[in-house]
Amino acid sequence: MAALDLNAIRAIVEGRLATELAIVPVIPVVFHNVAYTPTPGSTWAQCSVSFGANNYMTMGSTAGASNSVIGVIVVNIFSAKGVGPGANFTVGKRVRDLYNRIVVSGVRFDPPTGPEVVATPSPEGYFQTQVRMTFETFEDL
Amino acid sequence: MAFYRGEQGSVKFDDAGSTTATIASTRSWSMTIEKDVLETTALGATYKSNIGGLIAGSGSVELIYSASSADETNVFIKAANTATDQGVAAFELFLDTTGTKKISFVGLITSVDYSATVGELEVITCNFVTSGTITTSI
Repeated sequence: MAALDLNAIRAIVEGRLATELAIVPVIPVVFHNVAYTPTPGSTWAQCSVSFGANNYMTMGSTAGASNSVIGVIVVNIFSAKGVGPGANFTVGKRVRDLYNRIVVSGVRFDPPTGPEVVATPSPEGYFQTQVRMTFETFEDL
Repeated sequence: MAFYRGEQGSVKFDDAGSTTATIASTRSWSMTIEKDVLETTALGATYKSNIGGLIAGSGSVELIYSASSADETNVFIKAANTATDQGVAAFELFLDTTGTKKISFVGLITSVDYSATVGELEVITCNFVTSGTITTSI
């Protein structure tokens, strides 16, 4: 029993996405705080993992107790502008299926939201959608 | 002034009434101690008078189901579904982590609520009554 290793959780989340999007058709994916210059008109994804609420789960102090740690994954999917949403949604389905109600190494992923169309893409010049998933893991002290 | 929070509490239990062990993943406990009231108002009196009678306690322990089987937890959550119960189980309800502030008694578990709800932790609530002396070391 030990405090959570946040980078281990991040690696689980990001590793699944990197592995999936490395399968043909390969989609470049860029993670939080990493520089990336996309090829204009290409399809690519951007993933960020954030940790949010931490809550008491059980009685106990710093030993023999459990906490709940909630996090969120946001995946932005960019595809060529002016050619419809089909190609983008195909990537969105791959992302969605990757986490939907799945438990991996103690990380429980909730049903995803999206892919939602983003009205104002950032960066501009793409058709952008967003898939969001919350996840929960338990910290056993 | 010292104040306490719920996470400092804990529950220990032993169905055989000997050495208690911690119940895993306890989320909360509560207990009510009640005393019977016997009226002793004299005939013609204006105001009622009472004296205390027999004392008994009851309460509940709420825990998160964790399939724990290496301790008393599994026995605890199944104790209501036993064919015979002599009411000899030992309970200790702690208010702090030092283990000195507690309510201890012998009693039995009278009912258990098991529940599972989509998207939520599975919670089990065990309800108990006391049998005999209640010691409040608080």
